Amino acid sequence: MLDHILSILIFFPALAAVMGFIVHKDSMRAYGIIVAGIEFALSLWLWYAYDNTVSGMQFMEQLELIPAFGISYLLGVDGISLFIIIMASFFTMLGIATLTETRRVKDLIILLLFLQMTMIGVFAALDAILFYVFWELSLVPMLLIIGVWGGPLRIYASVKFFLYTFTGSLIMLVGMLFMAYFYFQATGQWSFNILEWYRLVLPENLQLWLFAAFFFGFAIKVPMFPFHTWLPYAHGQAPTIGSVILAAVLLKMGTYAFIRFSLPLFPDASVFFMYPIATLAIIMIIYTAMVAYAQKDIKQVVAYSSVSHMGVIILGTFALNVEGITGSVFLMIAHGIVSGALFLLVGVIYDRRHTKLMSEFGGLAHVMPKYAVIFGIMMMASVGLPLTINFVGEFLSLLGFYQQSHMYTLFAGTAIIVGAIYMLAAYKKAFFGEVTKEENKNLKDINKTELMGLIPLTIIAIWLGVYPKPVLEPINNSVESIVQLMHEKAITPEAKKTIPSLVEEVEVEMEVH
Amino acid sequence: MLEAVNVSFESLNIATLIPMMIAVVGALSILVIDLVKGGLNKSLYVMVSMLFLLLDLGAVIDAAGIFASNGTQIGFFNIMLIDGLAILAQLVIVVASMMFIPLALTSKRFHEFAYPEFFALFMFMIAGFQFMVATDNLIMIFVGLETASLALYPMIALHNRSKSFEAAVKYFTMGALAAGLFSFGSMVFYALTGSVEIHVIAQVLAADNYANIGYVLVGTVFLFASFAFKLSLVPFHTWTPDVYEGSSAALAGYMSIVPKIAGFVVAMRLFEFLIGSGVVWLEVVLYAMVVITMTAANIWALVQNDVKRMLAYSSVSHAGFVMAAILIGTTQSNTALFLYWALFSFTNLGAFTMLWVSRQKQLLPGQSSDHPFEKFAGMFSTSPIQASLMALFMLSLAGIPPFAIFWGKIYLIGSAVSAGYTVLALIMALNSAIAGYYYVKLIVYMFMKEPTLGEQNYMVNASTPLRTIVGFAAVATIFSAAMVSPLIEFIGAFVYNSGF
Repeated sequence: MLDHILSILIFFPALAAVMGFIVHKDSMRAYGIIVAGIEFALSLWLWYAYDNTVSGMQFMEQLELIPAFGISYLLGVDGISLFIIIMASFFTMLGIATLTETRRVKDLIILLLFLQMTMIGVFAALDAILFYVFWELSLVPMLLIIGVWGGPLRIYASVKFFLYTFTGSLIMLVGMLFMAYFYFQATGQWSFNILEWYRLVLPENLQLWLFAAFFFGFAIKVPMFPFHTWLPYAHGQAPTIGSVILAAVLLKMGTYAFIRFSLPLFPDASVFFMYPIATLAIIMIIYTAMVAYAQKDIKQVVAYSSVSHMGVIILGTFALNVEGITGSVFLMIAHGIVSGALFLLVGVIYDRRHTKLMSEFGGLAHVMPKYAVIFGIMMMASVGLPLTINFVGEFLSLLGFYQQSHMYTLFAGTAIIVGAIYMLAAYKKAFFGEVTKEENKNLKDINKTELMGLIPLTIIAIWLGVYPKPVLEPINNSVESIVQLMHEKAITPEAKKTIPSLVEEVEVEMEVH
Repeated sequence: MLEAVNVSFESLNIATLIPMMIAVVGALSILVIDLVKGGLNKSLYVMVSMLFLLLDLGAVIDAAGIFASNGTQIGFFNIMLIDGLAILAQLVIVVASMMFIPLALTSKRFHEFAYPEFFALFMFMIAGFQFMVATDNLIMIFVGLETASLALYPMIALHNRSKSFEAAVKYFTMGALAAGLFSFGSMVFYALTGSVEIHVIAQVLAADNYANIGYVLVGTVFLFASFAFKLSLVPFHTWTPDVYEGSSAALAGYMSIVPKIAGFVVAMRLFEFLIGSGVVWLEVVLYAMVVITMTAANIWALVQNDVKRMLAYSSVSHAGFVMAAILIGTTQSNTALFLYWALFSFTNLGAFTMLWVSRQKQLLPGQSSDHPFEKFAGMFSTSPIQASLMALFMLSLAGIPPFAIFWGKIYLIGSAVSAGYTVLALIMALNSAIAGYYYVKLIVYMFMKEPTLGEQNYMVNASTPLRTIVGFAAVATIFSAAMVSPLIEFIGAFVYNSGF
């Protein structure tokens, strides 16, 4: 069974979703929790069976799908995708367990289970077309989740989300077809197998074009400045569960794809575009942080802060060294946990007051002390307080980029201060001071269901902040092999210089011994 | 004294005519049945047509077997040419027809199906299209095309609405114009080369090294315009939305598939040798036309208020997309054309059938067309399964993987990439993104809006055969990934062995 665990992880929720049509709507939530729980248990088993010392792909499965065109069903995980898969199944379970939506719950849960299939599929796929299938398919459940259960502008927001990402990914698809064609020219055989693509060394000008084509698809998904405009709408209109999954998992598809595709396939282009992209990332970090400060709606604050942190992930990725990339992968997990938790927390207050405007709140710490504590911890984690999960990722990402450029890192570092300003300001407005509004005086504190979702997230946020090793080590192993691959593949001398070789360091160590 | 012409029976190779003859005999039998006993139920005629179509399909498969072992067959005074293209196109034509004709078994009564002549015309039309694809003789192409078209016009008019008459007359006038252009173009080529057979024309033109390039261009312009009419390429598409709107949804879906595949095959035979032999002008015009057809039709589709008109423009855009394969002209692109169209036919017929089963007898209050977007508002809350099926067909048309059209799309864009048409590949991809909007618009109406026109019965017209067709189309759309690999191999071998 372990040989096919990835297929099971992908198709179990989809099969369960189809069977879910038969389940009565009153029992649907329990059904959803059971399915997502089994799925989460399976993903933990995957972690348990995963060999930390191996840096390459594990649990690989291969099946020829369209041999004439080189498309196969190829799955595998390494340290980079493993934890995102676990996080995706974790958040689906939490999302269903803490669901407060009352309208058409059955449809919502079925969609969530389909969405889970696509999420895990994206991170487990090692064939570009298979990756693309899941990548595109994930748009449909999200389109419906935002469009059916969203706020007043839901239709605009959902269609904008769909069209933006759809356009970007079609350009990426052309890039993939070109990549397969170049592989065909080199070997006489069509292939969309990413691992085989890794072996293909392309001339620099082709790398630049292909990098650009892939960049559109990934950058819109992340979303990077200036393609980020769909995200505030999507978050603003989406129901809580939609925002949680979007922020925690769906956005990670973009950053993950940078590491899985752009860096190892186009090392020279990555070096070439390092500073332009880093500049975009810095703009993204600082600009969206400032926009976040100007928001009146607490969900928008969280949404923009989420974009801002995605900038740090991009910066870490394009440090192109082990520290930076490891940090950015770790930050993906951290960002998922923290922003997922923050969106859940915003959902808690929205369910009680049906407003998200900060001016409507104030003094909530008196009325809802437990809520204020958890919100406080998560906010501190989001700001990047040491000993919380975000700190580890942000520190490593910035450390990685510090080796490339001191100035850029300095700029990015200021953003953490800005981040602290807007988060603390928002916290102050909502939680401290006197209770000014009559409606807020009798708000119920956080209930058991909500605690059930939030406590595990809080524990993880602190546990991985204090002791990140169990997660960091497998990530580090896999990242090392990618960086080494990039170094070996790079053709221009400046790329060779920018991407450090790890083998030399090992040799030096051996001499010392 | 004229000498007696001696033709041995064997040299006629009558076997090449069998599939078309089956369709013709089918049409005649339907007329004879009506003559002997009138007033029979439509279900009889549907099943008789179906039986003859099955025989026809068997004959085509038999011809495919002969082609696979013996290669291209020529027969009947060298008029019939049964190569891979002819067989593939006939397969698409017959299978699509078999999916279309059960749609006559609606639970509501519609005017046209009360007449046995409708079914006779239908069989004649199939024979016409089969003749058209199974020859490279310009006169035979003309005869096939006109037989099919002249049978199709009354089939549209028989729907018996004022818009149907308008549609039929419009189609007829445009068709007549196209026929005129075609015959004039053929005349020019005959004058130049003394032959009406495409491969002889190609040889003669190549032998004198395109000395009369001016006349070649004149002939090409006329033939090209005529096919642009038939394939509804912009700017010759103006009849398409009106004709689709005037026809029943089922017939509109049929018209978006079968006449076009016949047109594509002839265009492939004719234009690929012209492009390949360096008529650069044609390549430029075709390039421009492909891009304009895809893009403009997509933009018009964005602003339609009626689902059927939207699907009409969308099928124009798909036709433009597929014409790119003829422009590219490699074996891979020609394979992609047939793959795309085979997959497209399932999805598109499914989508039009969904319209057809929801077709009410009277117009909805305050509406001027049968299938306005408002009709589908809130469909999901009242009939979730139908809404999901419709959404499935829309997603497939939009090219969302892993549904049917996506595979055709990547194979076609892949062939553009490998032939060096980088910009074209990008334009094709971006057009899919534009198209995404109007397909999603219907999903938005079905899933996210509240009903505005009161309670609707979306299965008002449904009967078991119709449900079966929809179910079949849906299954084929969802599990197309499994069919793609054998299809590529099968089509690829047939196209390659025909020399395209």
